[in-house]
Amino acid sequence: MAGASMKDIKLRIKSVESTMQITKAMELVASSKLRRAKERQERSRPYFEGLKKTLVDIESATTDFSSPYQKKREVRKQCLIVIAGDRGLAGGYNSNVFKAVTGLLRQDTPVCVIPVGKRAVDFFTRKGIEILTTEFAEAASISIADCFTISNLITKGYLAGQFDEVSIVFTRFVSMLTQTPACEKLLPLEAQKTESEDDTVRPLVLYEPSPEVVYDAIVPNYISGMIYGAMCESVASELGARRTAMDAASKNAAEMIDDLSLRYNRARQGAITQEITEIVAGAEH
Amino acid sequence: MSTFHLRISTPDGLEFEGEVERVRVRMIDGDVCLMANHEDYVSAVGAGEASVVTADGKVRNAACIGGMLAMIHNEANLIATTFEWADEIDIERAQRAKQVAEARIAAAKSDKQELMLAQAKLQRALVRINVKH
Repeated sequence: MAGASMKDIKLRIKSVESTMQITKAMELVASSKLRRAKERQERSRPYFEGLKKTLVDIESATTDFSSPYQKKREVRKQCLIVIAGDRGLAGGYNSNVFKAVTGLLRQDTPVCVIPVGKRAVDFFTRKGIEILTTEFAEAASISIADCFTISNLITKGYLAGQFDEVSIVFTRFVSMLTQTPACEKLLPLEAQKTESEDDTVRPLVLYEPSPEVVYDAIVPNYISGMIYGAMCESVASELGARRTAMDAASKNAAEMIDDLSLRYNRARQGAITQEITEIVAGAEH
Repeated sequence: MSTFHLRISTPDGLEFEGEVERVRVRMIDGDVCLMANHEDYVSAVGAGEASVVTADGKVRNAACIGGMLAMIHNEANLIATTFEWADEIDIERAQRAKQVAEARIAAAKSDKQELMLAQAKLQRALVRINVKH
């Protein structure tokens, strides 16, 4: 009997060991991917900051400026872009995003969504919420070009009146250990003008064909920049969450192995003692 | 000839930085060529060929799509969504993209959104092919 349980414990140790190998490997993969994700975001920064600066310049240089992207309308329909992961095993990463979304959904206005990531697609299909497109079901392979496609989709839809407000739900990368879900409004654009700057002398800039046309042409690019930034942060958060989760899993596995080895040794000792007792008992008779 | 500083940035990083004689870009309302000491100027980039003449007189062509071009205080900033030098364009990929886009347009028919996306893809592929030739 003792032998059977010894074998059981040995098998269990082996299986925990192989699980630990996997979680360790996943942790390492997540850390190296995380570094790359951060670098990617850094590289795109000058591009989007340049665009943002121009938008602010146009707004403040033009009196009685107006753009269809800025005009606030009564919100009859909302559009949400929700970024989640493709896979689980990332701690509370996915469920935190969905919890944030559920909080937003309680309002009465009808909603349509553009889910990014397989988990997000599954979640909204299950909930029966209108999905605009499932083309972006793989969050890990989303490129800048995809962000431009999403941006074109929502800016065109917004101008056509398909929806009156567009927000993006993503996960902010606070630190290696903390990632919090966040919601940011993309459209209508907030006025960026700050009153205190009015005194400074601005260079007279020639906007061709007109400030409004330039502004409206740049907005989709700027929005795709915001989407890309959110995407990069979400991917980094997912990897960070996975790294932490896998680190905890590896630690748990190590603890379990220690515990099981102790039990294994006890069982072995028990078996030996029993055998000796039997032999001695046999010799006495 | 007098030169000015040009910087070309894309979402993938800095594509070019240096002194140039002139730069020509296809804007949303036609080609524009900037030379040194141009007045302060900002406009949005369309889709087409861009050409840069560097300080040593060399001409480099590129496919340039979307974004904006700004010239402030004799410093030019080309912020392009797509910017690929002619020698970096993968012509086979562009040809393939063109075929795929054409097939999608044929299949889209009444689906406006699909048609719009496919047309944009086709335009990008055509710009690349034109610049390469």
